[in-house]
Amino acid sequence: MSRVDLREFVSGFLVEADELLRSASANLLAVDAAAKKGEASPRAVRELFRSLHTIKGLAAMVEVEPIVAIAHGMEAVLRAADRGGGRLSGAAIDELLAGAKAIEQRVRALAEGKAVPAPPARLLDALLSLASGGPARLPAKGTELDLPAAIDAKLTPSEREQLRAGVAKGMRALRVDFVPSPARAAEGVTITTVREQVAAVAEIVKVVPVSSPRSDEAPSGLKFTLLLVTASPDEAIAEAASAAPGGLFVIAEAPAAEAAAPSPDGLEDDAWTEEAGAAEARGGGVVRVPVERLDDAMEKLSALIVTRSRLARSIAALAAQGVDVRDLRQIEAEHRRQVRDLRTSILQLRMVSAKELLSPLPLIVRGLEAATGKPVKLSIDAGRGELDKAVADRIFPAIVHLVRNAVDHGIEPPAERVAKGKPPEGRLTITCFERSSTQLELRVSDDGAGIDREAVARRAGREVPATDAALLDLVTIPGLSTREEATRTSGRGVGMDVVKRITQDLGGELLLEAPPGGGTTFTLRVPLTVTIVDAFAFGCGAQVFVVPVSMVEEILEVDPAKAAQGPARRERTHRAALLQRRGEAVPLLRLDEVFALPRSAGAALKALVVRRNGEPFAFAVDRMMGQQEIVVRPLQDPLVKTTGVAGVTDLGDGKPTLVLDLLSLSGALGGKRPEATA
Amino acid sequence: MSALHVVFKVAGTEYAVPAADVVQMESFTGATPVPGTPAHVAGLVQIRGRVVPVVDLRARFGLPAVEPVLDTRVVVVKQGDRVVGLLVDSAREVVAIPPEAVRPPPEIVAEQASGFVRSVAQVGGRLLLFIDCERVIGEETLQ
Repeated sequence: MSRVDLREFVSGFLVEADELLRSASANLLAVDAAAKKGEASPRAVRELFRSLHTIKGLAAMVEVEPIVAIAHGMEAVLRAADRGGGRLSGAAIDELLAGAKAIEQRVRALAEGKAVPAPPARLLDALLSLASGGPARLPAKGTELDLPAAIDAKLTPSEREQLRAGVAKGMRALRVDFVPSPARAAEGVTITTVREQVAAVAEIVKVVPVSSPRSDEAPSGLKFTLLLVTASPDEAIAEAASAAPGGLFVIAEAPAAEAAAPSPDGLEDDAWTEEAGAAEARGGGVVRVPVERLDDAMEKLSALIVTRSRLARSIAALAAQGVDVRDLRQIEAEHRRQVRDLRTSILQLRMVSAKELLSPLPLIVRGLEAATGKPVKLSIDAGRGELDKAVADRIFPAIVHLVRNAVDHGIEPPAERVAKGKPPEGRLTITCFERSSTQLELRVSDDGAGIDREAVARRAGREVPATDAALLDLVTIPGLSTREEATRTSGRGVGMDVVKRITQDLGGELLLEAPPGGGTTFTLRVPLTVTIVDAFAFGCGAQVFVVPVSMVEEILEVDPAKAAQGPARRERTHRAALLQRRGEAVPLLRLDEVFALPRSAGAALKALVVRRNGEPFAFAVDRMMGQQEIVVRPLQDPLVKTTGVAGVTDLGDGKPTLVLDLLSLSGALGGKRPEATA
Repeated sequence: MSALHVVFKVAGTEYAVPAADVVQMESFTGATPVPGTPAHVAGLVQIRGRVVPVVDLRARFGLPAVEPVLDTRVVVVKQGDRVVGLLVDSAREVVAIPPEAVRPPPEIVAEQASGFVRSVAQVGGRLLLFIDCERVIGEETLQ
């Protein structure tokens, strides 16, 4: 291999290693969960083996010896486990997790261009002794497998275990033959399509290519024997496999006496199936793209949207001069549609599933369980929601923080729980769903002791909060902690303020439910995307502002005669009136007064209603100027970071227009709450 | 070794910033005000696709405001990660200033300028004040 290409390989390696490690972690957790129930997980063990094997190969290619060494050690443990029927001890799982972590650290060092540290000697020793100590080979008990000798010889012990395990669960183990031929290939039926179809109705344990005498039925002299575990009827399997009548055999149905002695064959001769698996993965139609390229596409789309706005302005100017612009208008309308479609496509490219976003949580919770000694039953319902990669990256630390807090501070130690009549295992539930086409809701819920309102109030030096919203305001005061001592997992208990800031910066909302009886639920509502959003433009004072559509609940006509004016507080320049809306009293503030803008001549006739912590709030503005898509640029300079301003956009006139965050603004105005004023 | 400096005027006084810190100079046609910011923040301008906050040096130095004219300039300076515009009456010259011409500010000037003037230079009979950019665009307000 030429050394010149190394750099290019490294970036490819980083991407690949990341994904492989992720899959390895998921499989380790699956093995762990199965082991706790006393079950073997041959499939996960084999997948783990494959991930590590690939990491090792890739690391060797880019010449990163420490990773090769660790992966090699882990691989040896997994090979032994596979020979033992896919069982791993708790100690082995712990060492493998440590190994995955050690690899991850080295991959990160490589990504940052730092020196890759040598593998920890203790870890290598532990892996070595686990591998050589050999698995406590389980007595091969289970079902007799009825297989032709030629096929039986090709099965590894773990594959046998997998077949038996299926039978033990009440399914049947089947063998079905597929004979490829040019005629079938012409109909689009190949081993690949058969695999896909069979996988839909059965669990494929192995596909064995078998040479057979050339005949009219088998012109290639080759057939494939698929070994399956399934609960589906024979006809469904035969149809999925395009099998000839009589091409389906039962390997095992009911538990019987003793199985054949396992052959010493390991994973090494699994090469064919391994390759086939890889080919399948590639055929899945998934392309891996570096995020920078997506960002670049987004950047270009943003420029296009600004140009579009300029075009619309020019046409309006021409029309104002009396030019006939009907044709131009039509072109512009079509152009707008096209840009919109393009925007949808590009945004879609950037979407990651909530499932993927939440996938590292089981590993994190496992670590927390170990650190705190509190058993936790985690359930995740990620739903089908998707969100922009940029939002996902920003919201993830907030979710992790809430999870840490829940395990660390919320859930009680097992003895305490039992004393309260709760199950010893704490429950942590994370759900996620699309609240609307523009907003995602994430809930982190625990059944722990809840939040001690008095303790929080004492710490904050304020009165005991009466509502959940007031409690949330207290717990998000920077630096506040209700724990006397710092704990290892949650640091010093700081961070709820960070969670709040992250949600707010995204233009989202943080909610809390903490009933006195215990249990805590945090809800994060965040927009699905942040860079390009639909927004309302409106005029207020002499200035034009925009606000994301997702933030506005309703636009109301304001009848000044009907708005009840309350007594004004002396220190305030602005005074709230009250609007009646469907039986609800909504505080109404003039935005020009809030912002101390030069007051415009006419009365403010429109009101934008937002809802924060369930409370509605209305801002009166002069006039609405329509809806359009905008590109939001964040404002970073401390000189111009103020509450209520989320960023700026260019509406096509080449001047910055402020994008308002009316939610934060309503929060800042909503009374004596401790809101950051920076 | 003389260093190049951009010279600009605010209320008749000449100031200098190192040319290396100046990103560009633009004429000024108004900024988008940002509610809730200090009085010396004129607002935001968009310069070649980049949104830049503008500090009005008259307001910052406690001088009376004037309407923008054709000569009014935004001197865009870079300070670490930040890029900020300085709103000045005019900016026309780039002057080479030899290091030996630079002196600490006379006490009276330093006091009046509340630390915004770092040093002074005599160049060909002209007095140029070096502003402390970091302070000028900093958050602390004029005392």
